[in-house]
Amino acid sequence: MKHRIGSVFALIALLAGCASGGPERDINDPTNSLVFGYVDMDEAPTSVSYASLMQVAPPTEAPYWSLTVRKGLFYSAYLPAGSYQLSRFGGSGFLAGEHQYNFGRQGNQTALRITKPGIYFLGSFKYKKVSSGLFEQGKFSIDKIDKPAEAELLKRILDEGTDMKTSAWNDKIRARLAQLKR
Amino acid sequence: MISRRVGLAAACLTLLGACAGPARQDVDSLSEVGAGETVVVGRIELVPPLRKDEQKIKALNSGTYENRIFLLADVQYRVLVKEPVLADYNGRIEATLGKNFFVRSDRKPFFILGGVLFLDIGGSELNKAYFPGGLKVPIQPGDRAVYIGTLKYHRNEFFEITKVAIEDDYERANAEFKKKFGTKNSLRKALLTPAK
Repeated sequence: MKHRIGSVFALIALLAGCASGGPERDINDPTNSLVFGYVDMDEAPTSVSYASLMQVAPPTEAPYWSLTVRKGLFYSAYLPAGSYQLSRFGGSGFLAGEHQYNFGRQGNQTALRITKPGIYFLGSFKYKKVSSGLFEQGKFSIDKIDKPAEAELLKRILDEGTDMKTSAWNDKIRARLAQLKR
Repeated sequence: MISRRVGLAAACLTLLGACAGPARQDVDSLSEVGAGETVVVGRIELVPPLRKDEQKIKALNSGTYENRIFLLADVQYRVLVKEPVLADYNGRIEATLGKNFFVRSDRKPFFILGGVLFLDIGGSELNKAYFPGGLKVPIQPGDRAVYIGTLKYHRNEFFEITKVAIEDDYERANAEFKKKFGTKNSLRKALLTPAK
């Protein structure tokens, strides 16, 4: 059975504030991991203004982690060890209204297991609409794409991310960039 | 328009029974079982078991879905290659995970095509996990009650199925069968077999 397809909901109510941010953590906590990715929404009804990861293990009462979103780039620099996958993202457009894009919990290609602190690139993806029946909810898939590459996105996180240059992440990201250059 | 589509889909889900046709009925007494029918006894387990927080059902009929897997069944063998449609749910077995089920079935072999577990229902969420099928329930003429085994789905935290096993737990099932239907009735062991 094929099931790696998400669903799209057009929402009447605004969803701002619906996703919890996960437990509060210090940006310099040595157990933090940086998880990031990119989604190209050119073919979607709206751009993305919010996104969240779901922590599927270990069990927690606050499983949703809000991600910082900037022009397709999404990331969190606060994640403890555990298993995660993209849960949903959403946005609004003047004509399209509010949309939420939900990812399936099984066969989710963004599934990630963090066993030690580090930098984890989920990948770059492109939104594609999947045709559905008249009485079915809207569907989409996200296909992996080559660009933007990991290094380009890491540079954006350093340049655009609040507190990133003044935190422990500055050195870690630069070290990763140097590693990618080799 | 999209809002209306979502509304209709949600309504059908709430009334899955009404939209999809009936499930195989649970049996409490052999007097409910007709001349051409058989009681099918078995059990489905997830390994590790489903945690309470892994399923979020916010629906009026939440009991239909909580800790329950829907086994899609048909007398014709076929491979489900895409998301099941409502018609695929006709004649399903609604099994509570980790407990024996006793359901009424026509006295002829049928196939388990796959399983569906609803993970999230409510709000804007509708998430399902799918489980492999391709198994035959080898009912024979004259069978009044058959035991098909414990179907164990091993899975990881992302609901990826890592192993499928059929285990013979006949003694426990038979003890429950005798307690439920009396010691005079016999339960034939007819473990699930690969469909092909």
